[in-house]
Amino acid sequence: MAQNVDPFHAQRPNNSKHSEEGRANTNDSHAVTKRLQKELMSLMMSQERGVSAFPEGDNLFRWIGTIVGPKETVYEMQKYKLCLQFPNSYPYTAPFVKFITSCFHPNIDNNGNICLDILKDKWSALYDVRTILLSIQSLLAEPNIDSPLNALAAELWSKPSEYKKHVLDTYKQ
Amino acid sequence: MASSSTSSKNVNDGGPDTADRDEKKDDRTFECNICLDTARDAVVSMCGHLFCWPCLHQWLETRSSRQVCPVCKAAISKEKVVPLYGRGSTKQEDPREKVPPRPAGQRTEPENGSTFPGFGFGDTGFHMSFGIGAFPFGFFTSTFNFGDSRPGAAPHGTPQHLEEQYLSKLFLWLAVIFIFWLLLA
Repeated sequence: MAQNVDPFHAQRPNNSKHSEEGRANTNDSHAVTKRLQKELMSLMMSQERGVSAFPEGDNLFRWIGTIVGPKETVYEMQKYKLCLQFPNSYPYTAPFVKFITSCFHPNIDNNGNICLDILKDKWSALYDVRTILLSIQSLLAEPNIDSPLNALAAELWSKPSEYKKHVLDTYKQ
Repeated sequence: MASSSTSSKNVNDGGPDTADRDEKKDDRTFECNICLDTARDAVVSMCGHLFCWPCLHQWLETRSSRQVCPVCKAAISKEKVVPLYGRGSTKQEDPREKVPPRPAGQRTEPENGSTFPGFGFGDTGFHMSFGIGAFPFGFFTSTFNFGDSRPGAAPHGTPQHLEEQYLSKLFLWLAVIFIFWLLLA
């Protein structure tokens, strides 16, 4: 059926749809920009200990976050860099968060992908950069062994000395 | 609250700073939980959380399968939010927004206390029943009248005897009709 349709006519409705979407997107991205600016403001004002984040360059939709390893864990005194990528549908959908610094952890794979429920199905529009980074920080201290991305890390979690050696080795890379 | 602190700004010595901070704090209380801006076309969920109506509508649209409050994750729905009508806030609607209008507030008239509870005509709790207690024992009491000291029957032929015969037949028929009625009813 599609072959019989004149391409010119077929494309026209698509074009108008695109322009509509484009307008919606600019509206959206304006709202997203506004919210991200607010988050940046409050993050800078709050002087949160242990986590920080700042947009990478001029692009407000891509941030670099830093997490200090939680105290009294094998991650203590370590600084982890993360990349946060915000979609146009933010905050209705979660940002894409990834570790830049390689991290040995049951719920973080070798490429830095994180398995955390609030970044997937448990996402809420209320969460912001600060709460995301704090959640990841507490994930470092309390991994979820039952659904590991890094099977070796999950296995070694019960052997602190070996686990620590792996953490330090991975961190140095 | 904010207005009172700003008006007393000049009087208060350490005024301007604290007043400004108070104002900011007050502003944050009325921020939408999604866009973090002062709530516009504000609605409140049944769990008490404040949102802009466009923001909450979009949140519910993106999560149409599992509609929960972004703050406390209680179940919420579009129908069950209460709009907030501040002073002069009705003209703030942006017609370009492609969201359905905010649901209207629900208003019920106060009840006046003239009706008694339970006496309404629509009340279904009313039952009525007739009963005859100890029905079969009535026969015994009327058939076996031992040792009673009632006067004996009148002698035959007297008008009193005829009257008694007549009354006895009448009551017998009444009793038969009554028993038939009981059986049929």
